[in-house]
Amino acid sequence: MLVLTRKPGQGIMIGDDVRITLVDVKGDTVRIGIDAPRATRVYRQELYEAVRQENRDAVSWDFSDLEALDKHVSKESK
Amino acid sequence: MESITTRFGIVEYDPAQVLLFPDGLPGFEVLRRFLVMPNPTGGPFFWIQSVEEGDVALILTDPTNFFPEYAVRPDTEELAGLNIGEEDDCHALSVVTVREDKSVTLNLAGPILFAPKTNRAIQVVLQNSRYSSREPLPRAENTQDRQAVEG
Repeated sequence: MLVLTRKPGQGIMIGDDVRITLVDVKGDTVRIGIDAPRATRVYRQELYEAVRQENRDAVSWDFSDLEALDKHVSKESK
Repeated sequence: MESITTRFGIVEYDPAQVLLFPDGLPGFEVLRRFLVMPNPTGGPFFWIQSVEEGDVALILTDPTNFFPEYAVRPDTEELAGLNIGEEDDCHALSVVTVREDKSVTLNLAGPILFAPKTNRAIQVVLQNSRYSSREPLPRAENTQDRQAVEG
């Protein structure tokens, strides 16, 4: 991993069109500004990873699970 | 017709009916083509089956069945990915996870946006959502109550 030291107000260019700016540092929190083309999706890493992990977890079901789901929401069930 | 071997047996399909995820899905970035498989019981859950990887199938549902106020609008880039305009239909669907302990959650933080007009879909990650990627599926009683109130 490339590690760079930056001060508030300084930035980093990634390729020609993604600009990262270190906005502010307060205690253990760093605020980062990102200028990127709209087509480049920018996510908080933990949110993206959570969705990725959910998809991975969601593929190991079987038909009995589908039946149980139907029962779970069935109006007739008690 | 073409056919693929899935975890649930051989499935025949019409290539013209394939649902396209132009960007794949997080965790399955290389999988683009899926079949929509209706629930034989007609219930609110159905699944999508990867054409490219027989082991990959995801249960989906319309989350407004359980969270009536849930709504996601595609932004300009997402509309472009779906190849539709603002006036075209776009449905938010949720991936359903059934865990080993049989608990059930909906991924409301990462909805799948589906455009019937172009048969395209993209999964988006909501940035400031109050919903979780592991939102517990409400029990039938709660769903009923809500319907009773609205009805």
